[in-house]
Parts: sequence; C-alpha cells; structure tokens
Amino acid sequence: MRLSESFNRSLWVFHFNSGSCNGCDIEIVATLMPRYDPERFGIKLVGSPRHADVLLVTGPVVHAMAERLKRVYAQMADPKVVICIGSCGQSGGVFFDSYNLDGPVGDVIPVDVYVPGCAPRPEAIIDGVVKAISKLERLEGEKR
Amino acid sequence: MSFSQTLFTGYGNWNPVFWIIGFIVALIISWLLLRRGESGCNRDTEQVKSYLSGNAEPEKGDVHIRAGNMYWGFTEALKEYYEFLVPVHTGILTDYILWFLGVMAVIMVILLGGSIL
Repeated sequence: MRLSESFNRSLWVFHFNSGSCNGCDIEIVATLMPRYDPERFGIKLVGSPRHADVLLVTGPVVHAMAERLKRVYAQMADPKVVICIGSCGQSGGVFFDSYNLDGPVGDVIPVDVYVPGCAPRPEAIIDGVVKAISKLERLEGEKR
Repeated sequence: MSFSQTLFTGYGNWNPVFWIIGFIVALIISWLLLRRGESGCNRDTEQVKSYLSGNAEPEKGDVHIRAGNMYWGFTEALKEYYEFLVPVHTGILTDYILWFLGVMAVIMVILLGGSIL
C-alpha cells in the first residue's frame, strides 16, 4: 500500500462519547492495545479536536451532548472525517425511543463512516479507520 | 573601536545593527513556524476557540480573577460595614440629597439643642 500524504501526516483520532454505555469505548481501548497496535501507523488518540483528523463518536446523542458534539465537530480543522462506532450511534440501538435522545449521530453532525455492532470488534473499528483514510485522501486530493 | 563596539558601557557592548539583525532572524523563524501551521484552519469559526470539553467558551470577564480579589481580606474583615454601606449607595441623586439633609438636620439639632440648653 502506497503511503499517501494524509497517512504520512498520520491519522490522529479524537474520541467523543455522546451517551454510550461504554461498551464501544472499551472496544476502542482494546483496539489501541499492543495486540492491534494502530499507533505503529501513526494512528493514535489525541486530547483535543483541534489536533484531530478523525472524530470517533460512540453512542446515541443525548440532549446534553448534542450542542457539545456540534461544537467539537466545528473545532476540528478541515479536512476531517467522522466515524460512528456502534449500533447506537447508527440508529439509536436499544435506546432508539428514549425520551433523552436528540437522535442518532447522523442527525446531529454529518457521518462519513459507520461501524455497526454492539459493540463492534477492534477489527471492525480498524476497518472503519482504513475507510476514513481513503475518504481523507479523497478530500485532500480535492483540496489540491 | 571595532564595529561591534558602538557603545561600550563598561558592562558590555551595544550595537543597534545587531538588534535589527536579531529581530529579522526572529521574524524569519516565526514566519517559517507559521507556514508549517494547519492551512485548513478558519479564523472566524470555532476552530480557533479553546477546547473546553465541548463547552462554550465563557466571556473573558467571567473567567478572569477580578481586581477586587486583591483586597478580599479587607472587605471580608469589614463585611458588616460593607453590608450596610453598599445598599445605601444607590447611585440616585435624590437619595444622596435626602441623606445630606437628614445628616444636616441631625447636626443642626445637636448644635442648636446644645446651645439652647
């Protein structure tokens, strides 16, 4: 695989929990463990959306987090992609008819890659990140 | 005297040309650092605001320590005095005139009363 510019720069990921049960968050942490070790490709979690290329969102969006999710998304520099991890962010999952939801992630911010599962395995998350890389490559290409 | 010793103070040499060269070098370094920055960053958006866990950035006046903190101990020690005094300072002129007339009346009563007695 040829390393593109976005890959050379390495893909920095910001994780945002918009109301998850923590199942997906545990899988994200498992993805970062030495067994999969995505950091060897420069893929790592960062502490601020302003440093990130990718926004990793877990869970459906509860009322209290909707404005915060929009703000975090707005704070990321372009080009950026959003990966929605888990069934809850995709459709609401088991919380689909909860009184406390603003809806799935796609109703609040534009999502580029969906990784379904409850919770998705690390392999699926890595596959989603690879798809995000190809999307970033395309966006970078359009920018040039 | 050499070029670098335009002004010799006894503690060292000073030459404005060296300062100007230093500033130019610093500006070039700053410009090179600025060029390495993220070009996709839009200045008029949230992208330039601080990340506060997704919360809105408060107004500067709400997060800065106010000058009044400098004499906090003073106001704390005289709390009872201030509790009375601050509400009295309404900023309304007629209130102040009333206070003035009231105090004058009390003084007059004391002075005149004393002289009559």
